[in-house]
Amino acid sequence: MRRTGGLLYAMPMALLVAVLFVGPLGLMAWMSLNHWPLLGDSAPNGVANYEALREPLFTRAIVFSIKYTLVATVLVGLMAFGLALLVQRPGPAVTVFRTVFFLPAAVGLASASLLFYGMFNHDASPLNAFAALFGSDGVDWLGDGDNALYSTAVMITWKFAGYYMVIIMAGLQSINPLLYEAATIEGATRWQMMRRITLPLLRPTMTLVLVLLVTSSLLAFDQFFILTGGRHGTATVVIGIYREAFTSQDLGRAAAISVGILAVLYAVNGAQVRFLRSAR
Amino acid sequence: MKARITTCAALAVLFLTPMLWALWASVHGRTGTGQLGLDNYRRLLVYGSGLPVYMRNTAFVALVTVAVTVVATTLGGYAIARFSFRGRNLLFMATLTILMVPHSTILIPLYIMLDWLGLQNSLVGLALVLAMFQLPFGLFMMRNSFEALPVELDEAALIDGCGPAGVLRHVLLRGVVPGIVTVALFSFLASWNEFVAPLIFITDDEKFTLPVALFNLQSGSLGAVDHGTLLSGVVTAAVPCVLLFLLLQRYYVRGFVKGALKG
Amino acid sequence: MGLRKAGMLALVAVFALAACQRAYHGPAPAGTAATDDGTVLTMWTRSLTGAFSRALIDQYNRSHRNKVKLTVMPGDSYQQRVGAAAGTRQLPDLLAVDVVYAPNYAAQGVFADITARVATLPFREDLAPSHMRAVRHAGRTYGVPHDIDLAALFYNKDLFIRAGLDGDRPPASLRELREFATKVNGLGGGVHGFNFGGACPDCMFATAWPMIWASGSKVLNEDGTAAMLNSADATRVFQFYRGMYADGLVPRSAKNESGPSWTQAFSEGLIGIQPMGATALRNIEEASRLQVGVAAIPGLEGGASSFIGGDVLGIGSNSRHADQAWDFIAWTLSEQAQVDVVAKNRYVPVRSDLDNNVHAQQDPRLVTFTAIARKGQTPYAVAFGKTFNDPNGPWIEAVADAVFGPGDVGAALDRHNGSITASLEEG
Repeated sequence: MRRTGGLLYAMPMALLVAVLFVGPLGLMAWMSLNHWPLLGDSAPNGVANYEALREPLFTRAIVFSIKYTLVATVLVGLMAFGLALLVQRPGPAVTVFRTVFFLPAAVGLASASLLFYGMFNHDASPLNAFAALFGSDGVDWLGDGDNALYSTAVMITWKFAGYYMVIIMAGLQSINPLLYEAATIEGATRWQMMRRITLPLLRPTMTLVLVLLVTSSLLAFDQFFILTGGRHGTATVVIGIYREAFTSQDLGRAAAISVGILAVLYAVNGAQVRFLRSAR
Repeated sequence: MKARITTCAALAVLFLTPMLWALWASVHGRTGTGQLGLDNYRRLLVYGSGLPVYMRNTAFVALVTVAVTVVATTLGGYAIARFSFRGRNLLFMATLTILMVPHSTILIPLYIMLDWLGLQNSLVGLALVLAMFQLPFGLFMMRNSFEALPVELDEAALIDGCGPAGVLRHVLLRGVVPGIVTVALFSFLASWNEFVAPLIFITDDEKFTLPVALFNLQSGSLGAVDHGTLLSGVVTAAVPCVLLFLLLQRYYVRGFVKGALKG
Repeated sequence: MGLRKAGMLALVAVFALAACQRAYHGPAPAGTAATDDGTVLTMWTRSLTGAFSRALIDQYNRSHRNKVKLTVMPGDSYQQRVGAAAGTRQLPDLLAVDVVYAPNYAAQGVFADITARVATLPFREDLAPSHMRAVRHAGRTYGVPHDIDLAALFYNKDLFIRAGLDGDRPPASLRELREFATKVNGLGGGVHGFNFGGACPDCMFATAWPMIWASGSKVLNEDGTAAMLNSADATRVFQFYRGMYADGLVPRSAKNESGPSWTQAFSEGLIGIQPMGATALRNIEEASRLQVGVAAIPGLEGGASSFIGGDVLGIGSNSRHADQAWDFIAWTLSEQAQVDVVAKNRYVPVRSDLDNNVHAQQDPRLVTFTAIARKGQTPYAVAFGKTFNDPNGPWIEAVADAVFGPGDVGAALDRHNGSITASLEEG
């Protein structure tokens, strides 16, 4: 460890972190305690902004976000786990499959949402051809709250299953193969190996996947903003922040919601980590 | 084994369908007349301020983001891995905390902050913010990359009369290139595709990035959305990412194994 | 880090932040000059108004040295875009906004004060009065009318005749409307009697409120701080909508129609009667050969009213080209622009002294529109946009509950009237 010059090298990063992260984080807390209109003077107003968290429209957004988080987490998580099991053992064909499953991760979330917006609305969409197989003509994929919720969850599964598949694969590969050999010698079935070896040893990986999935789903914005604009009761909490800031022109309340969400995320993610650590 | 391959193949078809369909629909006429042509792309070319303008903005933001991320995290990783200085742990922890404060929650104060810095409605301001979001992953990656190189390398070079800058430039840099490629790739994909930040920070049509311009194309139409043009835009936005990804796939996966899991 | 040190740091941080108050200095009222010196002016408008603004700009750019550069923004996110730009003083020189947002922008300082400039216009008393009210705040004027759109009852004459109705007699009350719609609905073959955009906030207030007004009730109080949607008339109007949908006189898709294609079925000749914006007439006739009749929107037992919408045009408060921008604005109100561009393209002029221009008589329906335009209302509320236009706002919630919800219409309106008033009060 050298003692001189380190600070100099760390300076660009320190500057970025200070000005664009620590500063804004403090500013967010401060703004949440001020009446802070988009235009005009700001002035301290105590905790009045936190009333925004109790507004009926916002509580509905919370309920919807939670519902979406449950659906998306389960769908993406199961799909990713299944894919990882399918392609974990190497082979020439498997490499191609891995790439294919992973490819949607390279497409942006906004682009993917616009692509599926096309699929959900285009006359010549393969989805309608698919629905026609079940004798249905012209499903309104985004037409009401539930349709939009499940359609979006399917899109998110397509976009992210491969991404989480890679994380889970890395976890699977870190399990010592000798454990499986030993188990096979002792005559364990596949299911027993899954329950006794794979799942327990995969717990840290699954914790990571779960935390990432829950966080990104609770904070969903792009997909609903693009696919439904929050219509039919599909406004999420982040759409709520955006609405509060730029439609209601109240940055103080938007900041208060942000602070509230951060607090909730810490609680939820902390609970998940503890739960998965203790569950034996 | 056979069942596994069949399942994989069926799933692969499902996963490829949306992208292939988008490609197909983007080169076909508006109402599925079955006619092949580039009409959609021609309309996209002249939409709004014009596709070239949006492409240039997006590329500019992505390149500045990549440059800032790479420089800041390479120097920062070097500092944290090889030096001891006041605030070293504080800086490391503060940077990693960025991971725990999701994006969308901090954009409102950033909007005010950029305004105070005179970087409102600015592509450079946008790129700096996007680079900031890439710092935790980048720093982690680069610190690990430097730590993987033996300290004896530094010591030998120092004895040979290199300064700390010389050590970095002549000795260590070559060893951390794979790390840099990974960081650059992640940061490129993230900034090229970013939607919310430019939506809030950029107000001028001539400064919009591709995702925001495409959103305007989708939501600004009256009567019926021009799906053909929209899909040609989606394809245009996705192609650079997909190509880069296919080319550098192993660096991407490396990011997960080295970055995410050891964290 | 020691505890004391951390405490000190926190203290410093708080003091530093306390300095972070924002003081806002509104623009000073400027002169009254109109300058045409070859400046490039930026202008924003929403997608619905795009074609109208474009027609005026093309003519202005041809005959002036100043050049106006138009950006058309999606209507759905227009409020947020203007808000985000205003917060960092990135507004364009010229800003056209939906007339219902104007009171808010006038109060918030989005527009520059043009009181003195407007006072120089000889025809200022003839400018559309409800637009002018929307751009006044605390005795100052912040904009002028840009275009007028109005809600009117459209009906398909061919379907009327096929159903045994008189093609020249539109329904005069909602009771009659239902009667006529039932007959048209009987034609079958995918034809429905009536239509509306049940998930489209502006489609709903622009069509349902005139019915309430025509019945003799109010929707908002005078200064736009309280809703009166739980009145007996409003309840009956919503019961009318509910009944039309429940009894199959309206396409099933009306429930989820969020706006983009709410005029489509009518253009395809599949709808008997539908209240819509007057500007839709052009698009419908361009797309089809329908015989379309128009009339004012009736009330429950008679009466007539309309929702006067459209846009106002002002100068962005951060513009450095106010004199040049005013040159364009003043020109858009000139007789030349109002007659040779606006009326010629079959829009309603914003000056009532030009009602009898050469183009106004070319189409009897234009005469009807102009007559309706002078009679209808424009609601006034500072918090209008976030309460009524916002697709995630409380108004569309109320519609969903009252028209499609499981419960009683009156109870639903009672409940939602409270949350709408709360939103209006927040300002």
